[in-house]
Amino acid sequence: MEEGQEIRGWNPYLAGALTGLLLVFSVWFTGKYVGASTTFVRSAGFIETAFNAERVAAMEYFKKELPKIDWQFLFVIGIFFGALIASTTSKSFRIQAVPSMWEGRFGPGLGKRGIAAFCGGLVAMYGARLADG
Amino acid sequence: MNELLTGLITGIIFGFLLQKGRVIRYDKQVGALRLVDMTIVKFMLTSILVAMVGVYLLVDLGLAKLSLKATILGGNIIGGIIFGIGWGVLGYCPGTQMGALGEGRWDALWGILGMLAGAALFAETYPILKTTVLTWGDFGKITIPQVLGVNHWIVIVICLVGGVLLFRWFEKKGL
Repeated sequence: MEEGQEIRGWNPYLAGALTGLLLVFSVWFTGKYVGASTTFVRSAGFIETAFNAERVAAMEYFKKELPKIDWQFLFVIGIFFGALIASTTSKSFRIQAVPSMWEGRFGPGLGKRGIAAFCGGLVAMYGARLADG
Repeated sequence: MNELLTGLITGIIFGFLLQKGRVIRYDKQVGALRLVDMTIVKFMLTSILVAMVGVYLLVDLGLAKLSLKATILGGNIIGGIIFGIGWGVLGYCPGTQMGALGEGRWDALWGILGMLAGAALFAETYPILKTTVLTWGDFGKITIPQVLGVNHWIVIVICLVGGVLLFRWFEKKGL
């Protein structure tokens, strides 16, 4: 049920403005601009290295985006913990395998949602990298 | 301070605010794409506007440098369209799906695996893309004020006014 301030969350303008300030402080104190998708490239490089290190070392894109743990890698990990802390301390954490809006349109099937989410993720990341975002 | 530690702390605060703003859920992301719930647009645009003012202030004061990516129309437009299709199906962004997982929405796991596969596929095709799509309409590292030949604060004020008008319209329409 959508009731009470805790369930509804903060005003999106306020949360957005605070996030904007966080971005400014990040640039000010550490010179870092936030991003996430390069981390997926580095992680894919890590996984592939486990199977064929020589091949990865020779690939042009992995030479450009080396498989390494850097500032952004930890930033992406941090997002998980930040959301975990915020949701568990405000009773909005919920184990859910199929989003409500998806279920309303496509049903509660785990397989259908899983396949669509995987394919969507694949396509989205390919596009994001192509646009250099 | 250690670079990895500052990354982790920045990520935790970022994820905390994303969750408080209720912007990481599938229903909110797809709700915006279906133009029925503008929560994420309000959040995103507000953070962009605040960061735009703050970062340019830092730059003017000599305290920071802009970090520009090249404008390559081929990659930006085609990549943007492909990203949009994938985003609409998955309903999470690269960064926000980590937050979705943190909130217990574990279908984000499939998205994360898909994105790792997408990144691997991109790395495979990069040599071809580099000589084709990524050479179409390459303008290098440009900014809007630079292209228009005006002071950046003029562009910033126009963006701020546009943003406020858009927000007022959202609230009037109850979006």
